[in-house]
Amino acid sequence: MSFTFFIFSNLLRQKVRTGLTVLGISIGITTVVALGIFVNSAKAATEELILAGGADFAVGRAGSADLTFSTLTADDLAALREYDEVEHVSGVLMAISKVGSNPYFFQFGIDPNDLDFFEAPLVEGETLAAGAENQIMLGDGAAGQLGAEIGDTVEIRDLSFVVVGIYDTGATTFDGGAILPLAAVQDYERKQGLVTLAYIHTRSGTEVQALADRIEEEHPNLATLVDLADVGDVDQGLQILDAVNLGITILAVFIGGIAVMNTMVMAVFERTREFGILRALGWRTRRILQMVLGEALLLCLIAAVFGSILAVALTQMIVLFPTVSAFITPHYTLDVFLRGLAVGISVALLGAIYPAYRAARLSPAQAIRYE
Amino acid sequence: MSEQPDTVIDVRNVVKTYDEGRTRALDGVNFQVERGEFVSITGPSGCGKSTLLHAIAALERPDSGTIYVNGDEITSQRDLSRYRARSIGLIFQLHNLLPNLTASENLQVPMYETDLSASARRRRAEELLALVDLGDKAGKRPTQLSGGERQRVAIARALANDPGIILADEPTGNLDSKAGQQAMAVLRNVQRQQAVTLVLVSHNRQIAAAADRTVYMLDGKIAEGDAAASERRA
Ligand SMILES: Nc1ncnc2c1ncn2[C@@H]1O[C@H](COP(=O)(O)OP(=O)(O)OP(=O)(O)O)[C@@H](O)[C@H]1O
Ligand SMILES: [Mg+2]
Repeated sequence: MSFTFFIFSNLLRQKVRTGLTVLGISIGITTVVALGIFVNSAKAATEELILAGGADFAVGRAGSADLTFSTLTADDLAALREYDEVEHVSGVLMAISKVGSNPYFFQFGIDPNDLDFFEAPLVEGETLAAGAENQIMLGDGAAGQLGAEIGDTVEIRDLSFVVVGIYDTGATTFDGGAILPLAAVQDYERKQGLVTLAYIHTRSGTEVQALADRIEEEHPNLATLVDLADVGDVDQGLQILDAVNLGITILAVFIGGIAVMNTMVMAVFERTREFGILRALGWRTRRILQMVLGEALLLCLIAAVFGSILAVALTQMIVLFPTVSAFITPHYTLDVFLRGLAVGISVALLGAIYPAYRAARLSPAQAIRYE
Repeated sequence: MSEQPDTVIDVRNVVKTYDEGRTRALDGVNFQVERGEFVSITGPSGCGKSTLLHAIAALERPDSGTIYVNGDEITSQRDLSRYRARSIGLIFQLHNLLPNLTASENLQVPMYETDLSASARRRRAEELLALVDLGDKAGKRPTQLSGGERQRVAIARALANDPGIILADEPTGNLDSKAGQQAMAVLRNVQRQQAVTLVLVSHNRQIAAAADRTVYMLDGKIAEGDAAASERRA
């Protein structure tokens, strides 16, 4: 019998207690992992947004509280077009309002002429006509949700738009929303001449990061968004999410640690005599330590696996709600599961150090006499 | 080094007190055991028998005095765990087997401190079970064994790492007379076969009488000194 199996069989001695502890820690790990999945999904959605339409990078207003609150003027766009490396600038105005049953329906106002550069691959129909005012292109997700087809009309802010095309970009936020003529969105949003973000296509051979840095340097009120790390400049939301995530992780470690400590302290106390016998049989204190830490670690590894499975199940269940799936697709990346595992290991160590120390410090003679 | 190479256990003037000196559990004990000898210790409850065994097993450190085992002073041993694992086999009144492990697995517990492979440990456990006539109970848990059988597993466990010395503290104290006799027969048998030195504490006269020599203890002392009071039967 291996030592590991021996440790495992010790856990089975108190099945109910072990089970409850595993369950408690699992719930903590589920919270951490599920939250991690959503934070990552939100980040992925944001990343898709800043690199939408095949742009090399996007430009927003520096210091905006939220990406969608960024506003750029025609002057800003003109300044961007000044750069030799810039091949094309597409200004996009974003709006969110209730459409159909979705309260967070994304609308992207784009000048139909920019659609030559801003890639929204059609699966059906055609792109907005130049100068069109009441046309709309739906993402395939939105079309599915609204049950709309080419030629149907979609009501937005009491205005009617005729569906001319259905596109599929692969980006959840885009495909869950619609593309409309820029002028129409500016009109009903009362943001004449304004856009949210500028999408930049550079000439081939351009050093994108260098250009973005130069733009920021020369225009301090603009923020260039080359990758997710830049998003903090125009959006505090992700930073808040990250902070919440970290806070909950720390909380989970402490709560779990106390649960493990309680379980292991009980296990050590009720086995005092047994530890004495093991010492009398020649076990070193180090092996006693290994056994107690091993039991805690195994307990938490089981909880980590169980908690991760639960988190996946939970996130899959949540996206069954159309309003959630419209703007989030769960992203299962290794790092969130590693974070769950790290929480499990930290919980085990935090919870087991004191009981292990107690067990190792027992005087063998006293422990043998212990009733 | 002790002068006589055949003295396996040599306890000299050992004092052990508890409760800040108020209880003198061992009060200047002198006690020698020779290689291969079977010595029984008797004496009233509280006279210090268990304390003496614990001191020899290096579970308890004497306040003063010295204990030589195989010629080495045990308190000077660098690695007491190693000494306990390799040189001493302990048997207690209660079997103290781990309830979640089978008989065979229980026998393997002391072997974790050796570098035997898992399969070698299992083989050794089977050997030991055969030695105590429990070859067919390898897969049984303590709750599936009788009291006598459990104690025989505990005897086998004491032999796990092939120690030269077995210290038994009332090993039959919890058994009825038949099971006690059976366990004693097994113990006696393996002691002869393996030529180990056996020190056994017992209240039972019959069992004490089976020993090569019986030592009486009273109030933390070997009564009237080792040589004079011990009956030699050899
Ligand atoms: N940890 C301890 N703290 C205080 N006193 C102790 C402790 N261990 C033993 N004693 C005392 O030391 C004395 C010797 O105890 P010991 O257990 O060696 O007796 P014993 O001869 O084995 O008795 P018994 O036949 O009842 O097992 C007793 O008076 C006991 O109360
Ligand atoms: Mg005793």
